[in-house]
Amino acid sequence: MQIAVIKEGQDVVREGDRPSRSCLLLSGFACVYKVTGDGKRQIVGFSIPGDIPDLQSLHLKVLDNSVSTLTPCQVGFITHDALRDICERYPRITVAFWRETLVDAAIFREWVTNVGRRDAYSRIAHVLCEMLVRLKAIGLAEDHACDLPITQVEFADAVGVSTVHVNRVLQDMRADGLIETKGTQVSVPDRERLKHVGDFDPSYLHLEQDQAAA
Amino acid sequence: MTLTFQPVRVVTGSDEEGLLVFDGELRLAAVLTYLSEQYDGISGHWYLEAGFGRLDRPGHPTFADLEEAQRWINQHLAKEV
Repeated sequence: MQIAVIKEGQDVVREGDRPSRSCLLLSGFACVYKVTGDGKRQIVGFSIPGDIPDLQSLHLKVLDNSVSTLTPCQVGFITHDALRDICERYPRITVAFWRETLVDAAIFREWVTNVGRRDAYSRIAHVLCEMLVRLKAIGLAEDHACDLPITQVEFADAVGVSTVHVNRVLQDMRADGLIETKGTQVSVPDRERLKHVGDFDPSYLHLEQDQAAA
Repeated sequence: MTLTFQPVRVVTGSDEEGLLVFDGELRLAAVLTYLSEQYDGISGHWYLEAGFGRLDRPGHPTFADLEEAQRWINQHLAKEV
């Protein structure tokens, strides 16, 4: 595995690429995104350490999305030859990769529902809940708090509203006591309330019972 | 096209100062809101709070001043679908 440190806001892979390797995020935050014909970005998922956001390129030759860093990231590049070799020798790893891509698909289904059918306040609450649960599962969140270096512009592109709207929703959430923020630290005084507001049920993340309890 | 502006208060939680924008036939085309001091780079700009007809599009833009807003609105009202 070749390890690289990549600055924030850099594309790791781009739509249309034909990669011969996949990237394992070792540290930092990244996002998977697409761009419309007139240049508007839609973030379709956030990637956190442990994710392989372009694992599909092992079997799908041409990438249909881009992956960009949101913060400085440490990324491990694993060649497709090495991945194929691992899969042939260790069937359990093959199963784990398959499961990973199925969970990714479940997250995408949830995000389509989120962007298409919830109001902005719920959308943002939902994404906050998801990030808290996923970060807690990898030990990067306390019970009620985590470091979430996602900007308002990135939130806007993830939930399909304007930056102005995200700004207002976050102000409202603070005023309503749903979240407290200090720099990039977000804490949630009452997780159950945030889950209720965000219409959030962690089942789609398919975590083990104790991980999903976040 | 000559646009007409009419001051209005908008319930957005923080930004109240707004304008109703009427097209040449006095039909409501858009609502603009003046962004207060809470927005880092764009405080003092005008925000397309709502657009109707051809102005009803994803990605609500912000404008440095009313002239820019007027240009954008005219451009999009005139655009062939």
